Formats: sequence, structure tokens, C-alpha cells
Amino acid sequence: MPLVEVHDLVKVYGKDVRAVDGVSFEVNAGEVFGFLGPNGAGKTTTIRVLVTRLEPTGGTAFVDGIDVTSDPNEVRRRIGYAAQFIGVDDDLTGGETLVLQGRLHGMSTKAAVAQADLLLEVIDLTDAAGRRAGTYSGGMRRRLDLAQALVHKPRLLFLDEPTTGLDPQNRRALWEYLRSLNEDGVTIFLTTQYLEEADALVHRLAIIDHGLIVAEGTPGELKAGIGGDAITVTLHADASLQEIADVEAVLRGLDAAHDVRAFDHSVAVYVTDGGSRIASVVRALDEAGVNPARLELSEPTLDEVFLQHTGERLRVEEVKQQRRTAMGRRRRS
Amino acid sequence: MTALVDSLTLWRRNTLKTIRVPTVLFFALFQPLLFLFLFSQVFGSLANLPGFQYDSYLQFLVPSIVALTALNSAFSSGMSTVTDMEDGLMDKFLIAPIHRLSIMAGRIFADGSRIMVQALLIIGISLLMGTTYATGVLGIVVIILLAALFGMAWAGLSNIIALRTGNAEATMIVGITITFPILFLSTAFMPAFLLPAWLENVAKLNPITYLVEAIRSLVNDGWIWSDVMQALLVILLLGAIMLTGAVRAFRKAVS
Repeated sequence: MPLVEVHDLVKVYGKDVRAVDGVSFEVNAGEVFGFLGPNGAGKTTTIRVLVTRLEPTGGTAFVDGIDVTSDPNEVRRRIGYAAQFIGVDDDLTGGETLVLQGRLHGMSTKAAVAQADLLLEVIDLTDAAGRRAGTYSGGMRRRLDLAQALVHKPRLLFLDEPTTGLDPQNRRALWEYLRSLNEDGVTIFLTTQYLEEADALVHRLAIIDHGLIVAEGTPGELKAGIGGDAITVTLHADASLQEIADVEAVLRGLDAAHDVRAFDHSVAVYVTDGGSRIASVVRALDEAGVNPARLELSEPTLDEVFLQHTGERLRVEEVKQQRRTAMGRRRRS
Repeated sequence: MTALVDSLTLWRRNTLKTIRVPTVLFFALFQPLLFLFLFSQVFGSLANLPGFQYDSYLQFLVPSIVALTALNSAFSSGMSTVTDMEDGLMDKFLIAPIHRLSIMAGRIFADGSRIMVQALLIIGISLLMGTTYATGVLGIVVIILLAALFGMAWAGLSNIIALRTGNAEATMIVGITITFPILFLSTAFMPAFLLPAWLENVAKLNPITYLVEAIRSLVNDGWIWSDVMQALLVILLLGAIMLTGAVRAFRKAVS
């Protein structure tokens, strides 16, 4: 039985903002499942329904066989959740933060302290455990935030953009850690807007855009689905729409073309065994009198998959958490 | 049972934060202490008026200052709630398998214990200034409990405003705006016989009047149980209304 089963999930905000517009998927025990999509695609809304923080407008969602709307506390007991924005208490120490989460998950103080010590070791915060989290660096806070979701040893972990805002080095370290958690049997559902992250970490992913799943499968399956390599013809930046349309027509005319897609001032043609097709592409462009600025051959990437299914490139936007002051103290964001 | 354990866990966390960042603790004490020193000097001669039944204006004023402390401190309650929401910490409590009510209970309990400490500090200072307590140590304990209970009820109002506005600054401004009329439309700073008739009637409808009068009788007159019971009744009624409202506002804000 899948650990997460979502059927026709709908979440409407206000009157007509359909943040999630009928989404169905399953997450199997033991896998790392990813939601890939841009900001506003419905990733966070879906995850917040699954972790019992949002009531869905329609559809059903089961976590470990339990309906998230009818028995939320039973769901909460089984899952760990790290939100997109870090929720770390500046006034408590790292150790106190983890023990508090353990206690709130019904652990005895002794068990919570033991597990907190273990986790602090793993996330390399043992030396800082007695210091207030307000003195931590961004990477340390991110690690502590993640550890908060792990104190009660959940078998299922929900991570909303776990590496957003991390530098590449910290990002890789976190991937490494998530992989080791997964190898220990923790099922992970994560959302991301990073293609590399989806490629490096997930076993299966769903591409979500405008509240809908537009494609689903293993990264390999999805890449295979776009039908081979991409040859991308990029025109000059001031190319007219007509010129782009002309190039599109020329590329569509090629016998080998599986698919042709235009974006910005580029046109990509998908072909099997791209290397051997370059010559014919160049010849066709030459005959049509097109003078491209650049010609690129690329193996299929998730970038291409995303483009193929949504008609747009995935743009990474980082939403900054608003800075706030409370009682005259500027708080870290 | 587990709901109580969770409430105490959160009480401990909230109290730890107060100790770590004592701004709130002292911020709430600043104005009462200022009033204590200023009013006891400025209005001291009121005690010379015929009909003034207390030994000194200070004996009359100290109970009001204790009540003001409870009032001020209670109003920081909602601000803490909003701050927890803004910092993403409320989210951490809400994804834990705990009863939603224990989050509010942990907050209100922490307000109560903080007010006890603050009331004790004010009473200590008043003793140094020469205030005498007719009911002795036991009376002081009852005064502190009354102030804390009133503060817990009042914290409900603070949370209602905080949860409805979702804004710490608005909560603070509304708090300050309400505190002044509440205080001056009571017998806190003027004995009832010096108030105009209409104001005397308004004061009778003001819950703070009952708290102040109960503390006053414990400070000056000894054990007059009817005064204490009346205050308790008012606190219970106020608490029932405010805390029910706060719980409803909380459920709405976090759903």
C-alpha cells in the first residue's frame, strides 16, 4: 500500500484561486518522491494539506492509510515536516529546540534528550547545541530546522523546498544527508524548483504547474519521453516573431523531428541520436537563409522535460521571508 | 491528561523565552513603576481631603499599580502569539500531535506566572516605600493570585485582538489605547466619592474596579471575603468570555 495516496485534490483560496486543481498521485514506502514546479504551482499547498495544516476544498488525501481530514493527530504522529521557511526559535538553544519538539511528540524528556543529542551530532551542531539559535548561521539554522522534523523518528518526511536559499556546498551536504535518511528507510516527499535537485535526489517525480500535474515518472522515464536529444537553435536577441516562426517551420519540416518547441528567441527540435542530425539541421537552416546566433546539442535534461510539458523554462525565484521586528528587536529571517 | 502535559511543556518554553529576553518582563513594569512614583507624589495631598478613608495616598494607590501591572503584562500575551506565528514557530506546534487548546493554555499559563513575578516585584517595592499590608503575607499571596487570574482573563482579550488582526503592532496600539480608559474609568486613581456621578456608575461596570477594590480591602481593611469573592466572580465571568473568544479566534486563525 502506498504511504501517501492523493486523489483529485483541490484547494481553492477565496472565491476562485484554484491553487491545486485536481491532483492525484501516490508515494510508495521507501522512495524519494519529488514535486518539481515553479513558485505558485501548488507545491506548498499540496504539502500543507498532507501535513494537516490546510483543509482541502475537495478530493481525498491519505497518509499511511489515514485520512488527513478525519484524524489529523494520528497523521501528525507519523510524519515529520520542514516548511519552506525556517521556524527556529532564536531565544532557545539548539538542544532545547529539539527536546521541545520531542516532548510535543509525546516523547519522555529522557528519550527526547537522547534523540536530540544524537541528531545534533549528525547535523554537526554538537558544539553549538548550548548556544541560542539566534547566533547560528543560515546553514546551521536550516539544519536545525530539518532536525526538528526528525526528533520523533518519523518514517515519512515532508520537505518543502529544503535547500532553497542554501549555497551549493550546503545543498550538496543536505542531499547527502537526505540520501542517508532514505537508505535508513525514511520515505521522503519533497518539493523543489531546482532541476539538479530533482535529478540528484528523487526516485520519482511529478511536474506540477498551475495546480496540475503535467507529467509524472522517474527522471529517466521523463527524459526518455521527450524523444531523444534536443538541438536548440538560438537566434539573435532582436529576432522578430516571424523569424522565429520561420525557423520553427523549417525544423518541423525535418524528417527526424519528434517535436519542436519555441521559447524566448530559441527553437528546440527533439531528435533521436542528435549528433548525426546536426548536419541536416544546419543544411535546412542554410537553405532557408537563417543565420543563427548559436546552435546547441544537448542530451535530454529535466529542463527539457519541464519545457516540453509546460511550454516554459523553469525559473527559480526565491521568496524572501519578510523581516520582522518584535519588541524593538530585529529578528533574523 | 496529555493535553495538560503539553500545556505545561509549552508553558515552560514560553517562560524560558521570557527569562531569556526579559524585555517584556520589564517593559510591562516600567509604566506601573513610573505611575507609582509620580502619582504618589503628585496626588499625595488627596489623602488630606475629608472623606478619604485610607492612611495615605500610597496605601490607596498600590493596589491600582498591581492591577495596572497585570493589565499591561496581559497585553503582551497576544503579541507573543503573533510573533510565534510570524517566526514560523506556531507552525511547529500545530504540526505536533497535541490538542490545539494546549497551545493557548501554555500561553495563558505563562502570562499568569509572569504576572505573579511582576506583582511580587511591585509589592516588594511598595513595602520598601512604606506600604503596610493589613492581611500580611497570606494577604499578599491572595493579592498576587487575584492579579494573575485577572491578567489571564485579560490576556484572552489581547489574544482575540492579536489573532483577528494578525499584527503585533496593532495589538500593542489597541492594548495601550484600551488600558487608559479602562484605568481612568475606574476607581483606580480617584476614590469613588471624588468621581462625578456618571463616572462612578461607569466604574461599577468596569471589571478592573472590582480587582482594585478587592486588593485595596486586603491591603487596608483586612479579610473582607465579600470583596474577594466579588472580584473572583468578575474574573471568572471575564475569563469565560475572553478566553472563549480567544480560543475561537485561535481556531479560526490557524485553520
